[in-house]
Amino acid sequence: MKRLLIIRSVSLQQLDSNIIEIKKKFPEYHISLLAHEHGAKLAEKYDDIDDIVVYPFNCSFSWHNQARFDDLEEFDDLVVPVGNISGAGFFNVMFFSLFIPTKRRWLCNLVSDIKPLSTFAIVMLGIRNFVFSVVSIAITCAISIVAIPFLTTFFVLERTRSYFER
Amino acid sequence: MSSQSPLVSIVMLCWNRWDDVKESLGRIREIDYDNIEIIVCDNNSSDGTQANIKAKFPEIKLIEMEQNIGIEAYNCGFEAARGEFIVIIDDDSFPAKNSIKRMVEKFRGDDKLGICAFDVRSFDSYDEVSSDKHDACGAAESKEYYMGFNGAGAGVRKSVFKEVGYYPGEFFLYMNEADSAIRVWDAGYKVVFFSDVVSYHKQAAKNRSSWRAPFYYTRNSFWLVWKNYPLFKALRQTVFLINSCIYYSLEQCTSIYIKALASAFWGIGALRGKRSPVKVEIAEKMRIPFNLPFTFYR
Repeated sequence: MKRLLIIRSVSLQQLDSNIIEIKKKFPEYHISLLAHEHGAKLAEKYDDIDDIVVYPFNCSFSWHNQARFDDLEEFDDLVVPVGNISGAGFFNVMFFSLFIPTKRRWLCNLVSDIKPLSTFAIVMLGIRNFVFSVVSIAITCAISIVAIPFLTTFFVLERTRSYFER
Repeated sequence: MSSQSPLVSIVMLCWNRWDDVKESLGRIREIDYDNIEIIVCDNNSSDGTQANIKAKFPEIKLIEMEQNIGIEAYNCGFEAARGEFIVIIDDDSFPAKNSIKRMVEKFRGDDKLGICAFDVRSFDSYDEVSSDKHDACGAAESKEYYMGFNGAGAGVRKSVFKEVGYYPGEFFLYMNEADSAIRVWDAGYKVVFFSDVVSYHKQAAKNRSSWRAPFYYTRNSFWLVWKNYPLFKALRQTVFLINSCIYYSLEQCTSIYIKALASAFWGIGALRGKRSPVKVEIAEKMRIPFNLPFTFYR
């Protein structure tokens, strides 16, 4: 039997809709769901999910935290659900998926359109986003020079105020 | 359930969505629990919602706002609620028939349970979802981190909610659940998801080109941190959020996150007198998806 992995990168409410279309596109597959610890329990009752792999970290899906999946058997297909139309904002999940052994990757969006997601596309996106990261870090440093002292002052004033109010 | 059951107050917030409100209130009438009061806080709807509620659901306590004050209107409902427990819902969500009974059992079984988070499922897939094995499961907790809840379905112990100060009205929209959850944890109570306590929610907009969700989610992420985080963690998280605003503005070719960033700093006065840092451990372990605001736009 072919094996499919879905990364639970969206709410279960959205997954309720997505999974109907995913089942249509991948009939007769054994479906696994990769979910955070709390999501695993909630997903247990899905009739369409055959087994659940727990993502044992607090943070969002990240390539930093994928080492424990090295021993997973190769999947035939992997689906990355995204909570919007284009997938913007979900690059971390797409990149994370590169570290999970699978033959093919797919993107499933908010309206359950399922499109192929190639390694090349993810890598190109990664290069573009790396440039954005460099620019955003530079701008963040500049803003922080003003913002951090401003905030610190605000916090200290608030603490002083609450001290005197007591 | 007997008439000795504790009173449960269902509090709904609505604004110009009569069709959804009608559907939800109709479903609430089918709930298998006999000691319920229903409170609807209307944010000055102009689509006839108020008159329709009075005519078609006379048993409901309607609280009418003079203008749209956002989630602050919920607080009027919470204060007016007479129930020992409050169920929070949206105008397009409703609890499953057996959820209130189950929620009360959860609260009765654990004095430290502050919020019983419902498993919020898609109303669009109601027939498929409602046939799932809801009886088979229970608490969905993590030993590693603390959870928030979804405002489209959550039960709250009123005494705890009052103690932590209800929803942050200054947020207007979004991230209010995270703010409440972090303060409930800090007060020594738990927020736990229960997979056998279900509510149904209509699917969000198909394509959120609207500025509201990304703007308010982003601005309120800053405010959530500034209100609740200890000093050094607040500063570190602020830098992370500033970086996210810049990065995702470039990625998605939008200025909405920059506007939200500017609005957070510009409107910081709204937090005057409201900063109350939680314990470091709570801030460290609280699971708040700060990436979420940057996924709504396109």
